[in-house]
Amino acid sequence: MNAESAGLPHRSRGVIALVEDNCTSCMLCARECPDWCIYIDSHPETEPPAAPGGRPRTVHVLDRFAIDYALCMYCGICIEACPFDALHWSPEFSYAEPGIAELIQERDRLGAWVATVPPAEADGNLDRRGAAR
Amino acid sequence: MSAADVLTVVGATASVTEEFGCLTVDVPAADWLAAASALRDDQRATYTYFDWLSAYDDLDAGVAVVVRLWSPSKRRGVLLRTRVPHDDGVLPTLTGLWPGANWHERETLEMFGVRFEGHPNPIPLLLPDGFDAHPLRKDFMLASRVAKPWPGAKEPGESDRDLEPSAAPRRRRARPPGVPDPGSWGPAS
Repeated sequence: MNAESAGLPHRSRGVIALVEDNCTSCMLCARECPDWCIYIDSHPETEPPAAPGGRPRTVHVLDRFAIDYALCMYCGICIEACPFDALHWSPEFSYAEPGIAELIQERDRLGAWVATVPPAEADGNLDRRGAAR
Repeated sequence: MSAADVLTVVGATASVTEEFGCLTVDVPAADWLAAASALRDDQRATYTYFDWLSAYDDLDAGVAVVVRLWSPSKRRGVLLRTRVPHDDGVLPTLTGLWPGANWHERETLEMFGVRFEGHPNPIPLLLPDGFDAHPLRKDFMLASRVAKPWPGAKEPGESDRDLEPSAAPRRRRARPPGVPDPGSWGPAS
């Protein structure tokens, strides 16, 4: 059963989806989380200059992004705190596990939820990743 | 029911405010039972339904105890509030007016340490035997917050190994709000 077959409103708070490309590893969500259930590891890398004669840039590359749904209380503060729209609500709820440790979802599973995020209603001209249609 | 009407029911020692469309009546602790009784029985008030009772830690102002009452006939609610000291705060029980206040007062007793005089069964409701603290008070330390490392301690571009003692030291680390400095609380202090 999924959110649609269960007849849930599409803005239900089911699970949190991670758009990895938008994440800058800024740590804001991990610090705002009242439950301490977001784990982020990253490392700095130097990118070559975008244009000839430019300066090389330091970027943070994500190594780990995980949410422990055994702790998460679905407050949505991480989604509000994210300045880069890397986190989104999805109405999907069906991810029970036989063991509590398996409720820690790593970035591959969090990323897979992105396909279930409903489009933003206020911006009908944007797709669910925030890009123009 | 207007604020002035409520005052005529509960007496001049009360003060009434309206916040977010809800009437809040503050009374001295000595008038707690009389005010609740008047709100229930007065024909102008008719707040006969006991919704819930709880408390919150109001720091220097003591512990604020709140009960929400509802008038089924007039379809409106009211909050009745009083403040008692942190140490040995005592209120008369409301179980004589509403038997359903029993569990609410037991929970308020264990979570905030407010005693309800005349309560028929003042034993803990949710906490295990021998739990010797009031966990919803603001000075109650969450042991898990000391035992578990804060995931937000890392700076952008860091991973867990940067937090190990062998890693190169860096400037002062961000600390989670409401958590004591390392070593200042718990068995390590």
